[in-house]
Amino acid sequence: MNFRFFLQLTVTIGLAGAFGLSSAFGYPEYQMFIVKHSKKSVNCAMCHANPDGPDGNAAGQIGGLTPEELNRLSQARAAFEPGKEVDSPILNEFGNHIIKNIGRTKFIELRNSPQHLAEMLDPKSDLDNDGISDAQEFLEGSHPLMKTDGNPWSLFKTNFQRNLPQILLICVATLAGIYGLIHLLRGFAIVVEEPQEDE
Amino acid sequence: MNFRNLFQSALDYVSERIPVEKMNFEAMVAKKEVPLHRLSWAYYMGGLALFFLLVQVVTGLMLLFYYQPTVSDAHASVEYITEHVAGGALIRNMHAWASSAMIFCVIAHLLTAFAMKAFDKPREITWITGVLLLLITFGFGFTGYLLPWHQIAVNATKIGMQSIEQIGQYLPGQMALWPKMVKEIVQGEASVGQATLSRFYAIHVILLPLSVAGVLGLHLLAIQLHGMSRGIDEAPRRHEKFFPFFVIKDLTVWSVAFLCLFVIALCLPFESLYSYPLFEPFNPKGSTPDGIKPEWYFYFVYYPLEILPFWVILLGSNLVLAILFLAPWLFKGTSRKTLRLLAIAAALYMIVMTVFGEHIYHLFKGTH
Repeated sequence: MNFRFFLQLTVTIGLAGAFGLSSAFGYPEYQMFIVKHSKKSVNCAMCHANPDGPDGNAAGQIGGLTPEELNRLSQARAAFEPGKEVDSPILNEFGNHIIKNIGRTKFIELRNSPQHLAEMLDPKSDLDNDGISDAQEFLEGSHPLMKTDGNPWSLFKTNFQRNLPQILLICVATLAGIYGLIHLLRGFAIVVEEPQEDE
Repeated sequence: MNFRNLFQSALDYVSERIPVEKMNFEAMVAKKEVPLHRLSWAYYMGGLALFFLLVQVVTGLMLLFYYQPTVSDAHASVEYITEHVAGGALIRNMHAWASSAMIFCVIAHLLTAFAMKAFDKPREITWITGVLLLLITFGFGFTGYLLPWHQIAVNATKIGMQSIEQIGQYLPGQMALWPKMVKEIVQGEASVGQATLSRFYAIHVILLPLSVAGVLGLHLLAIQLHGMSRGIDEAPRRHEKFFPFFVIKDLTVWSVAFLCLFVIALCLPFESLYSYPLFEPFNPKGSTPDGIKPEWYFYFVYYPLEILPFWVILLGSNLVLAILFLAPWLFKGTSRKTLRLLAIAAALYMIVMTVFGEHIYHLFKGTH
């Protein structure tokens, strides 16, 4: 059992090394493009599990991975062609989604023209279900996995349409409430004034 | 003047400002009248501020059921409220949006009250309690900002705490140590941490609400005793009864404000106005994201602080504060027209600094 685990660990580390573990880094070209294009500050958390990127020993960084996670990383790094299931422990759902959709070869190619990444992504994909496509969120510098983050006007329109029945109900309830309250106050006013008239 | 005369003068002064003989339903409600003129809309600003305060109390109590004031759980508990509690996102958004709306209304109320010379004799107590309420409201904003324990919250609080300590360099002798002591008392430890969060939480949910209850009670009592100020130089031609007509209009404004707040809170998460890295949980070992700044209602002090020397802002802030507290005596003989111009100038400054403060900062610093 121990020998099997040791073998697994050796193979995993070997595979990880073969795919460039020693010089592991994210692709800052994409981050630089988003910042320039959207004029918003973004960090590695858009695609990576750790906001400070894949380098380091913290959770979601290469130095802090378990043997099982290293194995998953190796498999993810072998996903050169699109369509393969990707579950890299250093990437978040959006990062894995990109590699699954376009493959690692294309992703590395696009480093020199990161603006084309949005065109390569599925325009209907919306991982956080906030009404703004992942590709659009990538261009606008908002997080594709946070439904509270996005273009404020787009979020407002989407949420307004989705919550229209609740909004109409609260309008009716408020109007009915204020109508009743106004009549109640007028009734009180009449009661208060009556004794003065009697006098 | 002997002691008896002095005491009598003081008694006369107070009884003129708080006329106990008017403390009855007839004078405070039934016979109270509100002047009608071109600036009558300003009478609703105080009521709106009160409405948003009530929203803050109700939504704040609801958030208390789930919020955990510890550095390890604060952010997670806020996320839990937003993601998993039924209606949690709506309540949290209402709390966040209503806090901004309340501060906006308090500032607008103060400026309009100043322009209408609502501090004039015998309304000095109303004015001073109003200025105190403005400061308490800013206190709510400052302490509440830290509670979610995300990047912008903790880092902006650190900047705020450093500013307190900086005051010491301009004070003489032993007094130079006082700001540092104040900072240590509020912060509770060497850096912003668990002790700070606990203290800010206690201040936000106990100390400040109790202060508001007392000061607001006195403010409202003074308003009911003296009625609304005339507001304009000439005598108003028309009046309306406070009860029920003004109350009904006030409630109608409240219901419109509630509907607006509800729709905005339901449809527009306030985080969407910022970059997402600012709302990640604070990590003392991680990098600090760009764009750390206080809430919008502090921009009028924050951006000048970034541009000008600290002592200029310190002097200016203290001067403004002193002018606000002493307004009933400093502007005793000033016409409403002059006061309106001063209020407009102050409003313009605040709007420009809030909307264009960042651009002005970059212009001064020569950055992009």
